[in-house]
Amino acid sequence: MPLLDVGYRQWEGNRTPRWTRALVLATTGIHLVWKGTWLKRVLMFMAIPALIAGIFVATFEQTIDRSGPREMLRALNQNPQSRSIAARAGVDLSEAAADPEAYRHFTWSYILFSLSRYPQAFGMIVVLGLVAPRLISYDLRSRGYLLYLSRPLTPGEYVFGKSMVLFFLLFMMSAVPALLIYVAGLFLSTDSTAIAQTWDIPLRILLASLVLMIPTSAVALAFSAMTQESRYAGFAWFAMWVVGGVTFYSLWGATQIGQEIRRPRRRGPDIEAFNAINSWSSYKLFSPYETLGYLQQQIFGLTVKDDWTWAPWILAIIASIVGYGFAYWRVSRVLKA
Amino acid sequence: MSFDSRSNDQVFEVHSVRKSYGDKQVLKDISLAIPQGVVGLLGPNGSGKSTLIKSILGLVSIDSGKGKVLGFDWPSEVRIVRDHVGYLPEDDCYLQGLQGIESIQLMARLSGLQKKEALRRSHEVADYCDLGQERYRNVETYSTGMRQKLKFAQALVHDPQWIILDEPTTGLDPAQREQFLDRIYALANEQGKSILLSTHILHDVVQTCDHVVIMAAGQIRVFDSLVNLQRPSQEGLQINVVSGASKLSQALSDQGIQTTCRSDSELVALGVESTILDRIWKTSVQEQVVVVRMEQARNSLEQAFLDAVRS
Repeated sequence: MPLLDVGYRQWEGNRTPRWTRALVLATTGIHLVWKGTWLKRVLMFMAIPALIAGIFVATFEQTIDRSGPREMLRALNQNPQSRSIAARAGVDLSEAAADPEAYRHFTWSYILFSLSRYPQAFGMIVVLGLVAPRLISYDLRSRGYLLYLSRPLTPGEYVFGKSMVLFFLLFMMSAVPALLIYVAGLFLSTDSTAIAQTWDIPLRILLASLVLMIPTSAVALAFSAMTQESRYAGFAWFAMWVVGGVTFYSLWGATQIGQEIRRPRRRGPDIEAFNAINSWSSYKLFSPYETLGYLQQQIFGLTVKDDWTWAPWILAIIASIVGYGFAYWRVSRVLKA
Repeated sequence: MSFDSRSNDQVFEVHSVRKSYGDKQVLKDISLAIPQGVVGLLGPNGSGKSTLIKSILGLVSIDSGKGKVLGFDWPSEVRIVRDHVGYLPEDDCYLQGLQGIESIQLMARLSGLQKKEALRRSHEVADYCDLGQERYRNVETYSTGMRQKLKFAQALVHDPQWIILDEPTTGLDPAQREQFLDRIYALANEQGKSILLSTHILHDVVQTCDHVVIMAAGQIRVFDSLVNLQRPSQEGLQINVVSGASKLSQALSDQGIQTTCRSDSELVALGVESTILDRIWKTSVQEQVVVVRMEQARNSLEQAFLDAVRS
């Protein structure tokens, strides 16, 4: 009992518009997940690759008049993976080293793609695996949905609010570091034509982030909505990536072995093997990681026109629709039970 | 459009509400008009009480039926209705990971209060609901009683015009229960709130409600004021004695007064008060039975409930 018991008091005031209520759900969700110690650690760890990518861009721009970019492009030329990617983008790295300024767009795109494709994609899997399984399953277990939905929220807004939590985390992990690197690159550039050369990169960053955010959030929420036990949802989430990866590499590896037998063996790194992995194969549809990776490759313009395909886009769209549709159905259904 | 709590409008008025789960019809053509004040909703398990409440809030989609809730078209404007209704669910529901006060603030914000105002108001209702310093603990660590208080605070935080309480006194100790019922009484009588109280505890209804709805098998069996329900079919006096009610009952019967002995300390004598009162006093003195209380006989709500359910 308070020292001065004033009893019940009526309240009068202006209410916020109804469309903002889903955002309240999102901000509370972010506040809740931010309490997780492991999440903070993973996010801090995730900043390291972004920092390294930033150093590469900074070095490229600051030493453009000297030998820095040439050395960097030569080093890339020594790497069969980057040589393969460059070839898919129509860039000959041995020529690029002679005139780095003309290849600024490719270099930045390649650095940002590498950041997005490897450390950020792995980080996304870990972060969503830590956060997403609890989002709906906890509410199903503790019947928190009754509290939410007795307010002016629809099941659709509830799912939207929950997915905004994931959007926020993924946006902070993927788009924000990449955009900061881009802006830092512009500021550090001594060349006034840098903006004209790279104006489309922020749009590509945003699109690549959306491609990462929407289907993965949809699938993660669908797993969370499937069960009241968040650990099952977490297990399903990680299993999907592992099983998908193993399936892809098994099928793709088998075809490569078949081709290897017919192909004379060469010494050193086999550029054709990298070309094969970097080009589209329908086996990639088995692996969410490879499918998303290929989408990002396309978005950053690192595929040749002949290799353009709508298949991963269609898969991502289907995954998004099915994921969100299932989460919506589950939340609506649980109310009717 | 808003509901004027000073007017004589019905809080809730619906016609021909039906709801089925598969082949099972849980709400059978329900038509009901609930007035302002405190209304008790009674019924055995599976009678459709919770489905009716959830359908009022749009948590369950009905098969057919329409009406008005707080002056808003129902069910088409159910989202607007939710801004003006406070709901305490029967289920043990909470938002894991949030402190009590955060949990109340969240509900306030979902009902449209600004962030800071929501926090201020949350503390106000937390004080009113006697949450004390426990408000800073995570809700999953709360006892059942604390969770009931928290849900009550969540239901009140946006100052709703109509408060729907589904089994609110479950898990409360007797002292807390009395406090809770006092709050319900105060909210209705001092603040002019309308309250729908769904409960199995008939005593709570007798203590707080003006009207009673009794549901059974998906139908409204009884809807009347509590006074009418408790009015006996015949006039009489209820007599409470220290002991020996059966002895007094026998003696009164011998004098031609019809009596019903309810226990060793309670009996009911039927007849007009002015004609039987003196005879009861004299007989009790003769039989040496100590009378501790005498009042107009009332039907018990239990009996009314059982009659309604069995009918």
